[in-house]
Amino acid sequence: MTRQANLVLLAIGGTALAVITAFAPFLYAHPLRTPLNPIFAAAIFAGEMLWTAAMLAAFSRDPGGRMWKLIAASRVVAALGVIWVVNTSLTWTVWQLTIGVATVVFAHLVLAFPSGRLTDRGDRILITAAYGVLIVSRVGLALVWDPERADCFPRCQVNPFVMWPSDQLAWLFGPGVAALVPLLAIGVIAGLWRRWRRASPALRRTLLPVAVVAPLELGAASARSLASLNLEAWESIGVVLSTSPLAFLHAAIPAGFLTGILVARLARGSIADLAVELSHGVPIGALQPTLARALHDPTLELAFPSPSGVGYVDADGQPVDMPLAEDPTRGVARLEHDGELLAALIYDPAIEIEDPGRASAVASVARMALQNERLAAQVRAQLEDVRASRARIVEAADAERRRIERDLHDGAQQRLVALAMRLDQARSQVDGAGELIDATTDELMRAITEVRDLAHGLHPAILTERGLAAAVDSLAERAPIPVRATVTEQRLAPEAEVAAYFLVAETVTNAAKHAGASEVRITAAIDEGELAVTVTDDGHGGADPLKGTGLQGLLDRIVAVGGTLAIDSPPNGGTTVRARIPAGL
Amino acid sequence: MTATPGPPLRIVLADDAVLLREALAASLAAAGFDVVGQAGDVPELMRLVEVEPSDVLVLDVRMPPTHTTEGLEAARAIRLARPSLAILVLSQYIETRHAVDLLRESPSGVGYLLKDHVTRIADLADAVRRVAAGESVIDPEVVARLLGRPRTQTALDELTAREREILGLMAEGRSNQGIAEKLVLDPKTVEGHVTRIFSKLGLEPTSEDHRRVLAVLSFLKQE
Repeated sequence: MTRQANLVLLAIGGTALAVITAFAPFLYAHPLRTPLNPIFAAAIFAGEMLWTAAMLAAFSRDPGGRMWKLIAASRVVAALGVIWVVNTSLTWTVWQLTIGVATVVFAHLVLAFPSGRLTDRGDRILITAAYGVLIVSRVGLALVWDPERADCFPRCQVNPFVMWPSDQLAWLFGPGVAALVPLLAIGVIAGLWRRWRRASPALRRTLLPVAVVAPLELGAASARSLASLNLEAWESIGVVLSTSPLAFLHAAIPAGFLTGILVARLARGSIADLAVELSHGVPIGALQPTLARALHDPTLELAFPSPSGVGYVDADGQPVDMPLAEDPTRGVARLEHDGELLAALIYDPAIEIEDPGRASAVASVARMALQNERLAAQVRAQLEDVRASRARIVEAADAERRRIERDLHDGAQQRLVALAMRLDQARSQVDGAGELIDATTDELMRAITEVRDLAHGLHPAILTERGLAAAVDSLAERAPIPVRATVTEQRLAPEAEVAAYFLVAETVTNAAKHAGASEVRITAAIDEGELAVTVTDDGHGGADPLKGTGLQGLLDRIVAVGGTLAIDSPPNGGTTVRARIPAGL
Repeated sequence: MTATPGPPLRIVLADDAVLLREALAASLAAAGFDVVGQAGDVPELMRLVEVEPSDVLVLDVRMPPTHTTEGLEAARAIRLARPSLAILVLSQYIETRHAVDLLRESPSGVGYLLKDHVTRIADLADAVRRVAAGESVIDPEVVARLLGRPRTQTALDELTAREREILGLMAEGRSNQGIAEKLVLDPKTVEGHVTRIFSKLGLEPTSEDHRRVLAVLSFLKQE
């Protein structure tokens, strides 16, 4: 059955019991008794409906818990309190025998609030003893009480269970035992006080409404039970409780319980806040205090599997002791992903009593946060890997270019120049080959020039020899349009010099070739450990870094060395390329 | 230019590229010079310069171990130790900065030539003789690059074509006499041109030829 269907059923059942409890007494008007007060009946009905609401709230907060069941039991007992209106000896006897049950169940309810469980040993002894005395006294009463021999109220019937009629024993099991109710009340209030002192601030907020109303009900019950020693007193107490404003105690008591349960539910609501907070990204180090706040457990610890594989550590890498499984003072929630332990939440199990399921709710939110953080860390690591591998690729390519340039310089270029010299030497030794030698020399010189340009394009030797300023200066001298350069003379990391050089070379070529610029200005200066390069031309602009491989290649190269590149190229507004490159100083 | 009478100039040659060094040695020998020693690295060069009496050092910019500017630095060190030894630096690439730096230290008897331009025995011999005679020799391509570089606005615009030509020859390290021979002009005419050029460019007139080279090159580099 769905939760909603269960809620509807509970609501219907609660309402039915409320109607019975509040209005059934109208079915029989006792000749001696004060006529029933409709306002009092309305107060009872309101109270019963509030109980029903409290039961529904308890059910929706923790359907598997005991709280709503205890409330339901207490309401059934309350309804049994009016069973006397059915005029049979059996119902009447049952009614007599249920007197006092409501008080013990109420005591149980108070001490078990809000989880429905009795967590304190003293509480358990008290409530067990109360139920024990109740059962013994009710069974005993059934066996010895002969209503015909005693005063009976409101109507007299035959007790079908009586075996050994005895007025003395009947008094002992009846009013005599009822006189113990004040002791029970004191025990319950003492239990409440013990819990209050130990309770966390959150639990106190939950307990407060119940702690306020419980003594009122217990006081009223005590007064009634003491009065039961005397029929007249009992009757007048009943009148006072049912006609004065005290009648509204019937509504105030469940209101206290309902408030307490709602406060507990509100505390649960902060898990949603926690999820929202964590979704904004919380650094691992801040996760523990955040979770501790959400769980209202300042002792909460977050333990991660140690990177060494042995033991656990906190976010700062300090070792954390994992509590033993049988340790009753610490609870452990394992946060796993695909069977792999992400972290363990170590908490005070008392929070489970205050609010069952809260720890696991917080744990699952924390698990999501950790998983997010893990994914983010993975992405960051992968990004760093990619950046590093891109840097390695660019570095390797640059090293290769330098190697080829040197091979050309030491090999082909030297050979060609030497060949040209030999050819010139041959001139004086061969007659009639002058024209052929001239033509060959021309070809050779062209080849030398081509190889030199090729080698220079691969890697300008001046850049390695004298740095960026000299290389840009050299570039400016060879440029087809005027280039004004102000470049730091400082030597930088080789990869920074290479990146900056090729940036300038590419942008100057673009300015002259594609932008129709008449002048280019270059500045390159050290700024906060970075080389800030600006290349501005007065061309027609409209350069798109995504079009063509030139600018994209530049961007890749700059990013690979950890730099940034910005291109501003409005149509008809010239082009400005700005780069910041870690100078590696 | 004809060979000067007397004993042949003694030359020390340094280049780590053996093939090229051998070719250079052959060219120098064919031009009538006396190649007294060859070195493949800087320590060997230093030893040679120490022990072999020599007039001219011909060396490559790029030498082991880093293959960057070891040759240039060796040239500078030798210059300090033996100012009388003329030095001709050969380079695979034209770098105007190298040329100017070389002249800045002591402009007399130094040269900076692109390897392409020593493939002709006559050019090589001419350059060797000029540095030996205390002149400065700057590769025409260095000068062409500095002169031909695109400029927005410059005092060079004031010069006539002939004046530009003479400025270029001055930058190459030529003396008035040399310029006059090259352009087949009267030395007096060349002198007049030089005075006008200096005044148009706002440069201090200087009588020393090698100082003039540096002044002109620096002007061209800054402009």
